[in-house]
Amino acid sequence: MMVKMEKVAKSFGSLEVLKNINFEVTKGEVVCIIGPSGSGKSTILRCLNHLERITSGSVYIEDELIDERVSGKDQLKISQKKVSEICSKLGMVFQRFNLFPHMTVLQNIIEAPITVKKVPKHEAIEYGLTLLRKVGLEDKKDEFPSRLSGGQQQRVAIARALAMRPKIMLFDEPTSALDPELVGEVLEVMKELANDGMTMIVVTHEMGFAKEVANRVLFMDKGEIMEEGTPQQIFSNPKNVRTKSFLQKVL
Amino acid sequence: MDLNKLMTYMPALLEGARNTIVLTVISVIFGAILGLFLALGRLSKNKLIDRICWFYIWLFRGTPLLMQLFFIYYALPNINPTLTLPGQWIPALLALALNSAAYLAEIIRAAIQSIDKGQMEAAKALGMSYGQAMGRVIVPQSYRRLIPPVGNELIALLKDSSLVAMIAMTELMKVTNQISTRESNAAIYLPAAVLYLAMTTIFTVVFEKLEKKYSVYE
Repeated sequence: MMVKMEKVAKSFGSLEVLKNINFEVTKGEVVCIIGPSGSGKSTILRCLNHLERITSGSVYIEDELIDERVSGKDQLKISQKKVSEICSKLGMVFQRFNLFPHMTVLQNIIEAPITVKKVPKHEAIEYGLTLLRKVGLEDKKDEFPSRLSGGQQQRVAIARALAMRPKIMLFDEPTSALDPELVGEVLEVMKELANDGMTMIVVTHEMGFAKEVANRVLFMDKGEIMEEGTPQQIFSNPKNVRTKSFLQKVL
Repeated sequence: MDLNKLMTYMPALLEGARNTIVLTVISVIFGAILGLFLALGRLSKNKLIDRICWFYIWLFRGTPLLMQLFFIYYALPNINPTLTLPGQWIPALLALALNSAAYLAEIIRAAIQSIDKGQMEAAKALGMSYGQAMGRVIVPQSYRRLIPPVGNELIALLKDSSLVAMIAMTELMKVTNQISTRESNAAIYLPAAVLYLAMTTIFTVVFEKLEKKYSVYE
């Protein structure tokens, strides 16, 4: 099992954003999480790489318990080094790209492999260029991010995440901040990744992408997974009332 | 005062001006280093470290620089003779550096806090530690935002450094005072003022250049 969440709950103060979340992702699977804004979709991703800490429950990455808490108290001592190791296995792509603006495209990509994984610089550059070729931006390697379009920035962000050679890619609404005409190029790169067999968890509002690429779709509402199934089941034959009403609004 | 007389005093004034610049630049360098640690301390999750840094800034921003200078120069030896600092340079540098550190700390803290939160998240998601994220991602981005307020602080410090004339440190102000007394003619303050203006102008231009240089990626 690549990712497993067991009885995960998360609260910000008195606000419960995740309630009793249980789900698993197997190797090579593409799981799309859909649902209305504020339903806790992004929080799930952020709890996997410790950007947020769960309030209770257990989280496993590659069958290893990486977080276990009961009412906000750690049940498992976890060091900074371990957190860093977990993050290296998880590549994260953000809605707002979050490229480092003071570094060129190539510097953005080689920074973490060099500082975190201590990869020799020439190897990091070589692999960085391979990844840039993969996302179709090799000619932009010496540009600063501010000179690129949103779609190009997001493709660089994907390459930056891939540079750590992650086992799982997490996408947090990767196309939501893009102009409509730039969405396609990013989804194209993500499709390619899925075809290469990458394990992916994608929080998205792109129902077309979910239908076409996902192996499994989770529908979330008010901090709970209301329904899960194949795209066929969810989109053509939703069982839950709230799934139905959500899909009616977005499709 | 005639021009010939003035010219004979020019070397003395220029040497005073040189000391003023050296004093200011060294103070601001040490002040910035201490200020960076104070700023990181203020941003620390550790409450005790935060409080200590807060206290330092409160103390040094809340009391007159002249009083701090007198405290270091006159009061410390009274408290304990082993606390006597040699000469004028060291107490002058110490007072200016400790004082500017308090101001620079707040400037640096504000610049760091103005960096988009997504930057720290992206760095952490890539596996960087807090220290790596600060050192490689956050602090370098704060440089450009630091330049205008640090330029202000440097100019303020250059002018405030005239206070060290009060402990007989021979910088521009002290030299001017001496000449004025000796000649019984205060007209010497005019060329001294021009020298101060020249120095602050140099810093203004240098900082404008720096701001351009660090703006390339925006």
